[in-house]
Amino acid sequence: MPASSRSSGLGATFENIVMIELYHISKQYQEGQWALLDINLHIKKGEFWFITGPSGSGKTTLLKIIFREILPTRGQIVIDGINILRLPDHKIWKLRRSMGIVFQDFRLLFHKKVFDNVAIGLYVLGIPVKEIRRRVFNALRLVNLHQKMWEYPSHLSYGEQQRVAIARAVVNEPQILLADEPTGNLDPELAFEIISVFKEINRQGKTVLICSHDKELIRHFGDKILFLFKGKIIGKEVQPFSRK
Amino acid sequence: MNNLWQYRVRNLFSATIIALSFLIVGVFFSLSNNLQFLASQLAENMVVAFFLNPGISAREQARIEEAVKASPGVAHVNFVSREEALARFQKSFPELEDILKNLGSNPFPASYEAVLQKKVFLSEEALGLIEGIKALPGVEDVQFNRDWVKKMQSLSRLARAIGFFLGGILILASFFIISNVIRLNVFARKNEIEILRLVGATNTFIRLPFLLEGLTLGVLGSALSLALLYILIKLFPLYLGQSLGVLQEFINLRYLSLSQCIGLVIGSALMGLLGSLSSLSRFLKI
Repeated sequence: MPASSRSSGLGATFENIVMIELYHISKQYQEGQWALLDINLHIKKGEFWFITGPSGSGKTTLLKIIFREILPTRGQIVIDGINILRLPDHKIWKLRRSMGIVFQDFRLLFHKKVFDNVAIGLYVLGIPVKEIRRRVFNALRLVNLHQKMWEYPSHLSYGEQQRVAIARAVVNEPQILLADEPTGNLDPELAFEIISVFKEINRQGKTVLICSHDKELIRHFGDKILFLFKGKIIGKEVQPFSRK
Repeated sequence: MNNLWQYRVRNLFSATIIALSFLIVGVFFSLSNNLQFLASQLAENMVVAFFLNPGISAREQARIEEAVKASPGVAHVNFVSREEALARFQKSFPELEDILKNLGSNPFPASYEAVLQKKVFLSEEALGLIEGIKALPGVEDVQFNRDWVKKMQSLSRLARAIGFFLGGILILASFFIISNVIRLNVFARKNEIEILRLVGATNTFIRLPFLLEGLTLGVLGSALSLALLYILIKLFPLYLGQSLGVLQEFINLRYLSLSQCIGLVIGSALMGLLGSLSSLSRFLKI
């Protein structure tokens, strides 16, 4: 997946390259029940979006469609200039390498150390060990966990575990970072801390999409907010400048 | 290797089952080798003995000698007189001296021993030759080792066929064991596979460790079976002792040839690989 070389390093709303384009996306799991209906959305490179709405509004479905975990029933999606619906199954790995994904349940490997959990995204790229060490250290430093590189995830707090998951998502320097309720299991203080990490990543020029229903967080950090209800977009809020 | 070690009990169990399956194949192949060896030893003694009637006339004997010598495929001919036959028996079986004494007279007939050329011995030509001479007046009986050789050879083929049959069934069972072990390993590493998919691992990258696991289990199983077979072959004669006399030779199993060993390992590795592949194609949808 060709990544844009024009990374400003200054963050949101700086560039006009469209990173994610959704055209009339609809998804139906069961006859007569639409999880998503006619979603149109254009997300530019370096933007920071919150997707919000009550449970069952289609946030997770939308995210899954973007990283091609599931296919939409209708519509087209273009990521960084490539229609990902035309990507054959055995080439999905190309799309995934351009994205980092963070989940509410962290999805860490508890029998492996923090280092290996983060490095897994680099092992698949066949990068030399020395380079892996450097990149893992940098990713862990970004989330302020480089001191705990050789510990097992079970020895870390929930907030720290989520930060390991974030480090894993950004270690191969993807252009897009997707997060599905990354603060769902955390108390408000930790949740603020985690979103601050996402903000920091966004400031480095990455496009960030976070699904959340935490109104407090969104009020505090949301530059661009997409409101979903019963699978439909019911509103968008776009701030001209990035918040903290 | 790490993954094999992580689920070592399960993997060791399956390697042992594979080893036992291949051990049974190995035992039958070894038995077959043994019979083949006996047949070849018998075949080296390529002699047809024409026993003469005790009341044979000198003319008849001369005709028989002439016929035997003139036959194509006969390398050379020995005449064994009655006295010589008796002396051979006494030398071979000194413990039966008393029986001979009780008989009072020499029970052994004179004979012509025709040593056949190797190509004739194993061909149908030999039978024609024997039938021709057997029909001559004065020939009482014919002893021909070839029947034994053929019996040995067919027994050897039978042992090999049983080996293939039983082995086939057991190897099929091993195939399913490997397939199931890999399936369990796939399930046990479901989270890891999920994460690998999310971080952009190719299908080959995800499948390769499982294929290598299947391959290693196959190779490990066959290597273990070869080691067990070696121990069995060394211990079996010791267990039976020397009491079997002539039969000892039948029981003295011979180890597999190098090509058989290599074949066994390659076959087992292939089975491991296929078992793993079949499991991955069913349970690892990527």
